[in-house]
Amino acid sequence: MKIQKAVITAAGKSQRSLPLQTLVDRDGTSKSALQILVEEIRSAGIEDIAVIVHPGDQAAFASAAGSHAKRLHFIEQTQPRGFGHAVLAASPFTTRDPFLLLVGDHLYVSGAASRCAQQLVEIAQSEDCAVSAVQATHESKLPYYGAVGGRLAAHRKGLFEIHTVMEKPTPTAAEQELIVPGLRAGHYLCFFGMHALTATVMDLLQSALQSSGSSSSIALSPALATLARQERYLAAELAGRRYDVGARYGLLTAQLAIALDGKDRDEVLTALLEVMASRARSA
Amino acid sequence: MKNLLEILTSTEPSIRHKALEAVLEGAGAEELIQASQILDRFRRDTDNLYARVRALLFLACIHRYQLPQALALTPPALEDIVTGKGALPFKGCEQLLHRRFEEAIDTFLSTVEAQGYSDCLCSALANAYHRLAFQTLADQVRRSVRSVRGNQWMFRMGHPSDQPLRIHPELLRRSPEGAYPILREETPVRMDLTHSGWSDIFFLSMDFPEGAHVINASIDLGVHNRDAHPRPPVSAWLRVLDEPVLRLTSVDLGATADVTSLAEVFDFAKDHLGLLKAAVIASGVVPPGMEGSGQSLAALLASMLGPGRGLEIVSCVNDIPKGSRLAVSTNLLGSLIAVCMRATSQATSLTGTLQESERRLALARALLGEWLGGSGGGWQDSGGLWPGVKWIRGVTAKETDLEWTISRGRLMPEHHVFNREELPVEALRKLEQSLVLVHGGLAQNVGPILEMVTEKYLLRSRREWSARSDSLSLFETLKELLKQGEIRRLGAETTNNFRRCLCTIIPWATNAYTERLISDAEAEFGDDFWGFWMLGGMSGGGMGFLFAPHRKKEAQARMLQIMHAAKRDLQTGLPFAMEPVVYDFSINEQGTTATLLEGEAALMPPAYYSIMIPALLKKDRGSLSQARRAELDSFGEASRSDPNLRDVVPKLFDVLLPRHRAESQGSNSLHELLRINGFDPIQHEQIRQDLKEGRIGLSLNRLRHDAVIECPKTEDVTDVRHESKAGRSLLEKHRRTGETSLRNGEIGVVTLAAGAGSRWTQGAGVCKALHPFASLKGRHRTFLEVHIAKSRRTVSEFGRVPPHVITASYLTYDPIRTRTSAQRNFGYPEPVIVSQGCSVGLRLVPTERDLRFAWEEMAQQHLDEQQQKVRDSLRASLIRWAQTAGEASDYTDNTPMQCMHPIGHWYEVPNLLRNGLLAQLLARNPQLKHLMLHNLDTLGANLDPGIIGWHVASGRCLNFEVITRRLEDRGGGLARVNGQLRLVEGLALPREEDEFKLPHYNSMTTWICIDALLESFGLDRDSLQDRERVASAVRSMAARIPTYVTLKDVKKRWGSGQEDVFPVAQFEKLWSDLTMLPEIQCGYALVSRQRGQQLKDPAQLDGWVRDGSAAYIESLCEFEPSPGQT
Repeated sequence: MKIQKAVITAAGKSQRSLPLQTLVDRDGTSKSALQILVEEIRSAGIEDIAVIVHPGDQAAFASAAGSHAKRLHFIEQTQPRGFGHAVLAASPFTTRDPFLLLVGDHLYVSGAASRCAQQLVEIAQSEDCAVSAVQATHESKLPYYGAVGGRLAAHRKGLFEIHTVMEKPTPTAAEQELIVPGLRAGHYLCFFGMHALTATVMDLLQSALQSSGSSSSIALSPALATLARQERYLAAELAGRRYDVGARYGLLTAQLAIALDGKDRDEVLTALLEVMASRARSA
Repeated sequence: MKNLLEILTSTEPSIRHKALEAVLEGAGAEELIQASQILDRFRRDTDNLYARVRALLFLACIHRYQLPQALALTPPALEDIVTGKGALPFKGCEQLLHRRFEEAIDTFLSTVEAQGYSDCLCSALANAYHRLAFQTLADQVRRSVRSVRGNQWMFRMGHPSDQPLRIHPELLRRSPEGAYPILREETPVRMDLTHSGWSDIFFLSMDFPEGAHVINASIDLGVHNRDAHPRPPVSAWLRVLDEPVLRLTSVDLGATADVTSLAEVFDFAKDHLGLLKAAVIASGVVPPGMEGSGQSLAALLASMLGPGRGLEIVSCVNDIPKGSRLAVSTNLLGSLIAVCMRATSQATSLTGTLQESERRLALARALLGEWLGGSGGGWQDSGGLWPGVKWIRGVTAKETDLEWTISRGRLMPEHHVFNREELPVEALRKLEQSLVLVHGGLAQNVGPILEMVTEKYLLRSRREWSARSDSLSLFETLKELLKQGEIRRLGAETTNNFRRCLCTIIPWATNAYTERLISDAEAEFGDDFWGFWMLGGMSGGGMGFLFAPHRKKEAQARMLQIMHAAKRDLQTGLPFAMEPVVYDFSINEQGTTATLLEGEAALMPPAYYSIMIPALLKKDRGSLSQARRAELDSFGEASRSDPNLRDVVPKLFDVLLPRHRAESQGSNSLHELLRINGFDPIQHEQIRQDLKEGRIGLSLNRLRHDAVIECPKTEDVTDVRHESKAGRSLLEKHRRTGETSLRNGEIGVVTLAAGAGSRWTQGAGVCKALHPFASLKGRHRTFLEVHIAKSRRTVSEFGRVPPHVITASYLTYDPIRTRTSAQRNFGYPEPVIVSQGCSVGLRLVPTERDLRFAWEEMAQQHLDEQQQKVRDSLRASLIRWAQTAGEASDYTDNTPMQCMHPIGHWYEVPNLLRNGLLAQLLARNPQLKHLMLHNLDTLGANLDPGIIGWHVASGRCLNFEVITRRLEDRGGGLARVNGQLRLVEGLALPREEDEFKLPHYNSMTTWICIDALLESFGLDRDSLQDRERVASAVRSMAARIPTYVTLKDVKKRWGSGQEDVFPVAQFEKLWSDLTMLPEIQCGYALVSRQRGQQLKDPAQLDGWVRDGSAAYIESLCEFEPSPGQT
């Protein structure tokens, strides 16, 4: 399996402005979140990228993409019918090819030499199946994420065979369905906002669309749950962390994480210490 | 003894199911001690939980029953008893009180090693082993409940930010008027169709899953002649609020509270909302891990509902009486948990039925909730969550189960709902057409029964195990008959199950009331009465009677009359909590079901408004939230048009304008009763003042702290035990004198029966003398009947009728008179004389000082962790009650009979003087010289010629019988107090440890020389006619006897079968304090245990039967033959 296409979803009501936010990247230059995401994708060797936007947002996104704009395909999600529906909007672009899917409100900081998207794509290609990036997450954060249940894949650390997928499960359901051996108590594998998916997912979303009412919402997680029953589907714990830009102080946290991972680390650290020291003095 | 360990370790059923008694049959003391040592080593080493528990119960059994009997063959010498050899070490008793069972066992065993075994140490070891066994089991069930997947996370949450639950968005969707929708869960209750020997108890099903199964039906219920048709009796209602509070309301208990702190949520006994709080916690809305976190409830609610919001939860059981044996409470808990789970998206569907996995989770959480609330039944109790009729059975633990290697069975059973082919609908209809479901009105604590079931199962005692096996094989028959709709045969088999199996496993499953109902139904309906059906833990409350379908309607009406008549006859002796009722029922095919009520339909149950509106009316409409205003508008509209709300308005008037007339009538009758029963208002005021100002009180009951308490000397006590050589020879020596006295009519009996028997019924205010407490010689007998039967025996043996006097009080006089007259003196040749009490006291609200002294300073039994929390919470609220009601104020908030109290047994003999009864007795029987006075509880006290002879020969005024102390004999005893030999009450001992060093316990049986006693009062036979002189003599003697302040439990009954227990203060003077008066010559005789032991608590009954005490009492009695007997 060779992944050459990527999709960024950015049409959600609360997501629309997030990729347009400006941050200082690892190299010290100011960039929009969208640019950072595109660079994440390109690090995985993918040049063909679609961005799913709310109708009318294309110009702002093109502008925020800067020099990357020319390689982006903008696709409008004409009705606000959920995440799955947004992904399905990219099906004319992905056709029958596997693709990398990123959510527009997350940024990633890798803990390894290769970036997160690159790690994921390499795993998906070597395992020749759909792979979702996951991160062990405390149960108190379950209301914010999709989560998977499964067991460790025999041959590789950090790789799991997925049996179940649930969207924002209650801890009750998580404890009954999503316990994964090897994780700390009260932690579950939650989505990282990054998936390497096969064309089957588009089929499943299409079928969900057909069987749903004309205005009901289409989620991605049920399609992924079905995918796990139909074909081999893995979860990978990547060396890296995700940052939800849309969360409270999310942008600030993401900025700090990126800055502390980059060339201006000492400068930012010094500034942080100064703030803390002055707070301590005044207290 | 090799076999002993084999029973515990073998997987082979034929060995595993062997009875302890089979291995130890005929064993002597040495062998039993050796077996105990082997078992004790084994239970310390084994990793297997159930083998450990079974070994502990074997040890308890050996020390409770076998070893004391073997030791009794060589009773200890009086010298050894008096010097305290084999006495209880106080340290061990303290450890027991603090639930440090392992340490207590070690302390007792080291005393055994140093001093050898004694009857007393055996009782302590039996108790410690027994309780360690049950603690071990309870700990394991608790661990299993916590570790059920879906429950674990709740124990990890410690901060509001950790709360992962979110309210279901539908519940935040307001109506245009601003009202939030209401989620209503309606749940049937469960009816046990097979009663397989209480096999759903966790302890049993986790060890013997293959023997644990029931058929259990979900039913809708209505009270016959009250409700139009059966409906789900239990409902739980939930909605979002605009205030950051948890508003909990129980409409049946009329209780509501706005809970604003986490500490209050975990304060279960503060009010009547404990069940709702348990549900809120067990469902994860307030996770159990939040207890003691010091965090804010508002913050927790905000993370789940959004800032400033709260939750309102309301429970309703349609006024179904408590104790129905249909698991109403557990199903209400399940219903509340289900509604909370749905509201927080822990169930797939907000409305409709639950999925199987969700029902199982609700069951697991109901178990958790019951544990939190300090209660617990069996696993079938949440059956109402499931639809229709199901087979619930224990499951053997597999490798993937959490219980694997810990117990043979899983905590959670398996439910199989019968489909139409397995159980045709016609069969169910036939059942509905035959079964008359009733609540007999008796309220009883099932807890001890469930413990007995577990113990008897683990011991595999022959009769009980054989009955259990029969019950199991009967299960298949019952299942098949039910399926075929063969209700007549089904009735025969359920009766068979009750008679042959259940009553053999637990004889206390039945009682005189149930037996009477069954025999009346048989007499009335003949062949059309098809059988009796015991529901739940024991009979007397919820029960079933099967009739031919064509007579069901008639049977419903007649059973109500039969129950009312039986209650009328027995209620003076049996603690009824309510009037009997007959139910209408139908099988519920849905199980628990939820509906979302929106817009104008978003109204709580009608009774909710009777509770809420009075408070709302006092508020300015403008200050009410938009949601509340919208709700009141809807309610106003609905109350005009909805027939279901027709009763609400009159009820509202009742709440707003309580009917004054009824209250004042009640108060008048109390005053009237006080007046006619010799209440002394001046003395009462003095006592109140003294109590208020701290001149009297619990702490002041005690002797001075520097009082020297010592054991008696050998010469202080005479050994008259039948089992000791010295005792036998002394009895033999005096026997002839005693026989002569009996033949000459010199001896009479006085049975003390004026007390309220608070411990026996936890303050139910019934006459203990008339309690049909056990089946002796083929039927249930009352205490009174037993005592008369012993005197009948004396008549037969000696040809002379000893006068038999029963002393009574305001509470017991009329019932005893009525019963003795109705039963023609129980066949006694002469009238049984009932002595009327001459004075009463009025109970007082206790002082905080006394409550704290009783609960915080006096040594007392600690409970299991969660139960202790509940008890602490209850006690805190009772202290608040005492403060609010007014310390030392008159206790009048109860029925008049429950507000008065008898003033102690010291007065019962002086009453004989004052009411002229002794004078009459002596006039009729001038030869009468001596009386045997005994407590109602002391069933073994009889007119033993040897003891009579000894008493007569002694020439003393009073001779008291004492017994060697066992652990359960709490209270004072015979002591030298500052060098003076006397009986000292437990509440007068200056230090807790003094009690344990006194080897002799006072049985209260007293031999009285009438003339000497009169002389001590300054009277003689002639002056008894002089009322004034007698009254003055009694007054001056009373002034020399100490007055004790005591706390007694008193039950207040309310609602439908609800009971609250309050501690009240009262004063009393006690008979044995006469021993402190130097001019009264007193002697003390050590009698055998069976003669002197007392039955104070129904929990003693089973052991009393098993250790041979009941058979001993039977041997002393000559009961009046039943009609038809010769």
